[in-house]
Amino acid sequence: MIQLFNWLRRASLERGLDRELEYHYDRRVADLTAAGMSEPEARRRAANELGLAQVVEEVRDVWLTRWLRDLLYDLRFSARSFLRTPGFTAATLLSLALGIGATTAVYSLVDQVILHALPVRDPGQLVLVDWNGDDLITGGLGSSNLMPRPICRDLQQQTRFLDGVLCRAGIEVNLTAGGDPRPVAAEIVSGSYFSVLGVGPALGRVIEPEDDAVPGAGAVVVLSYDFWQAHFGGAADIAGRKVLIGNHPMTVVGVAAADFRGVDVGAVPALWMPTSMYADANLGTNDDLFNGPVRWLQILARLRPGLSAAQAQAGLLPWFRPWLEDSTHRAGFPAITAERRRLYLTSSLILTPAPQGHSPLRSSLSEPLWVLFAATGVLLGLACLNVAGLFLARGSARARELSTRVALGASRSRIGRQLLTDSLLLGAAGGVLGVALAPAAVRALIAFLPHDLAANALRPSLSLRLLAFAFLTSLTAGLASGLVPALQAGRDNIVNALRERGGAGSGGVRLRKAIVTLQVAFSLILLIGAALFLRTLTGLLAKGPGFDTEGLLSFAVAPAQNGYARVDASRLIRRMNEQVRALGAVRSSAAARFAFLNGGAWSNVVTMQTDRRTVSDRSVNFNAVTPGFFATLGVRLLAGRDFDRSDSRPSGEADGPRCAIVNEAFVKRYLAGRNPLGVLIARGGLPGVKPNSPIVGVVADMSYRGVRDHSEQVFFPLFESDDTGATFYLKVRGAPEQAIPSIRRLVRQDDPRLPVLWFRTLDDQVNRSLNTERMLAVLSASFGALALLLSLVGLYGVMSFVVTRRTREIGIRLALGASRSSALRLVLGDAAAMVGAGVAIALPCAAALGKLVQSQLFGVKATDPITVGGAALILIAGALASAFIPAWRASNVSPTDALRLE
Amino acid sequence: MPPPRFPIPQGTLDMLILQILSLEPAHGYGIAQRLEQISRSVVQVNQGSLYPALHRLQQKGWLRGEWKQSETGREAKFYSLTAAGRRQLAIEKDSWARLSGAVNLIFEEGGQ
Repeated sequence: MIQLFNWLRRASLERGLDRELEYHYDRRVADLTAAGMSEPEARRRAANELGLAQVVEEVRDVWLTRWLRDLLYDLRFSARSFLRTPGFTAATLLSLALGIGATTAVYSLVDQVILHALPVRDPGQLVLVDWNGDDLITGGLGSSNLMPRPICRDLQQQTRFLDGVLCRAGIEVNLTAGGDPRPVAAEIVSGSYFSVLGVGPALGRVIEPEDDAVPGAGAVVVLSYDFWQAHFGGAADIAGRKVLIGNHPMTVVGVAAADFRGVDVGAVPALWMPTSMYADANLGTNDDLFNGPVRWLQILARLRPGLSAAQAQAGLLPWFRPWLEDSTHRAGFPAITAERRRLYLTSSLILTPAPQGHSPLRSSLSEPLWVLFAATGVLLGLACLNVAGLFLARGSARARELSTRVALGASRSRIGRQLLTDSLLLGAAGGVLGVALAPAAVRALIAFLPHDLAANALRPSLSLRLLAFAFLTSLTAGLASGLVPALQAGRDNIVNALRERGGAGSGGVRLRKAIVTLQVAFSLILLIGAALFLRTLTGLLAKGPGFDTEGLLSFAVAPAQNGYARVDASRLIRRMNEQVRALGAVRSSAAARFAFLNGGAWSNVVTMQTDRRTVSDRSVNFNAVTPGFFATLGVRLLAGRDFDRSDSRPSGEADGPRCAIVNEAFVKRYLAGRNPLGVLIARGGLPGVKPNSPIVGVVADMSYRGVRDHSEQVFFPLFESDDTGATFYLKVRGAPEQAIPSIRRLVRQDDPRLPVLWFRTLDDQVNRSLNTERMLAVLSASFGALALLLSLVGLYGVMSFVVTRRTREIGIRLALGASRSSALRLVLGDAAAMVGAGVAIALPCAAALGKLVQSQLFGVKATDPITVGGAALILIAGALASAFIPAWRASNVSPTDALRLE
Repeated sequence: MPPPRFPIPQGTLDMLILQILSLEPAHGYGIAQRLEQISRSVVQVNQGSLYPALHRLQQKGWLRGEWKQSETGREAKFYSLTAAGRRQLAIEKDSWARLSGAVNLIFEEGGQ
């Protein structure tokens, strides 16, 4: 520490020392002349006694200690030599900055989406509580960890194992606070939520157990800090304000802590409300969500200190078994087979560690992000190899300098240290540049991400963790790229190196070849990845959503969220559908209960009655649509007829849909070889389900959840008086955007309180749903191109070097009668060996890595020979082209010039 | 021809500097002269090694240095002992006494 301080004030220290020594010297000279010595003699004597230069050096050592001085000298020397070779410096810096910047940017997302623990008390103790038993009754549906509310309350009694239990669901509500109503994301939570997480208020109070004691107990909301800042300007008097959730008045009681954004990364809630107010949240159900068995919440629990998730899971069994037994006796428990009953009774709760909370965004994004992270890792490795290669090249150019230093007594470790300082300095500089690039890169990455919400939840800011990561990465990159050249330093025989005239020592040609081989291997891996993701994207674009998106516009309303009864909601939707169709710009329009290409779906198994009763072996996607839906979207009707107005059941008649339309995939999978028309089907797979809706039509396949999707689908008629909201699809004349103002006016006339959830063109939606694929394709292609460039430059460099070194040999060969083409072959053969070895290393690696990315691909296998071969071909062609220039130079060596060179 | 002089034993220079400064503050040249006098020209001190030692001791906090007018009227850097320096001198004196006592003992035993 004191040494650094000394370094900062070294100028004044030096001045002091000079004065001190000058005084000593003058006094000594004076004393000696007084004793009778001649003045010149006295001066010589005094100077000899003191040994000025050495004293100054030794005192400096005292100030700074040896290694620090050496390091500072090395740094200064490195910086100076870098400034002298700006080309080299720019090339290495750029390599490292790109590698570090890309890695840091992707890591930032990995950190935020996957790794980052919730900003709550002891996130390591949090577990997600799940239970697979219910699936046995309902027929095996994915539940996204949903649980009924009563079990959460009962779990809270299990204090021997759990230190607290909370439940929550992500919902969307229409919030009116002053101005127009707007749809916002919210979390509906148990009263224990904030206390179990250990999150306090920034202002006012949070939701407390009393708010959640009985249905309707607490008409309160807590705002998130960000929402409070953005939409209420951080008003200090926010507590106590009245707002409307749907049509229900609620009181804002506080604002949650600033950095807390709920337990679901990617879905940032604007507010929290207690589960006791579920009825006011207009969740579109008449069931008793508070005490009933409906599964609608995720449960998170805090383990007792010292317990593992497995221990707690085992410990809860003795309580859970009787609970299961009881539940079979409750009213409404379905009739199931004895086998299922046995499985149900032996099912157990499943506790999984959840320090990062619960996040669908994480599950959908984690794989693409890891793939990208791995790719940037390879890219960074490649950049390091590139720098190492450049260092070796520079090292051989500096061989004479280094050998001279060794000859003058520098130890090899001292020179190695100097070279390592070089690369660490470069690494640090590259790291600084990379960090400077990173926020822009993260912003670009976020723009690629599929979810609208991701844009709100992810930040391009630099956290301390990120900086630490970038620092470590730069250090590693610096070390990795400098270590080999440093070890190589001074290996050469001094005498030989000094004797050599060209200034080119043997310079680790073999090492440089090994590095280029590895570069070739790395870039081929990235190229194969890029080719696979490009084929995936082009494949999906070519496939399309199964309908013509041109001129298609969609918008959505959710009247139930504003407290409409289902009958009224259905009536409103029907009326709006008529009004929209009457607009001048609209050619045709239709409505659907669920939006397409949004990632979600309404699904269940299907029971079919042909000559026998069968249940689909996996869940089928449903939707309810108006007549004219398929015509509006341009989906072909393959058989039968479209719905007509008479297919909708009148209000009050609840006996299942009157008829159904299925898609081609459904017919292929379940009704192959028979006439699908007239077959009776029904939603659900329980024994009590009555298949009574005849199939009246078959349509071509279209995408539902996303473009990739080629699921089996069943459509029912809309307007059966049980609608909560709808998405309208409009085919318009001209640009779709121009129709938006008139539609907005129309909705406002119908109900000024009702917000339009979104306006989107279908072009835009298709694009959005391909965001992940596009991100992977674009990024892997740019990584691949960059990698190719880096390794080709490396190859060119090493081959030029080889040719320069072998000029004399080639000259002699030519003089002895070898043909020019044989010289060409000699050099190209050398390059081909490296490329061949690189390809041989890359192919098995790519095959192994391919298994990891297979789930991200579409229409192409990871080991697809054409793709892999194509990538290899591009690489080989590029490599031969870049080796051809030095080879051609070799074949043009003039024997006389080459021999004269010596 | 002056009588042959011993080079100063490793590590004793620090102790001698502390001892000299324990009497009164002095500047570098003064210390060098005092060393010559005290050691009666038996021990040879390389004047050059004095300054690194002074700076080392100052950095350890045993000496403090300040610029004052010297006997010739010029400004010189005067060193004086700090409290920590005084404690250090006591420690070194003590360990030196024990060491030389032990060495003497060995010589006497060997002489019998």
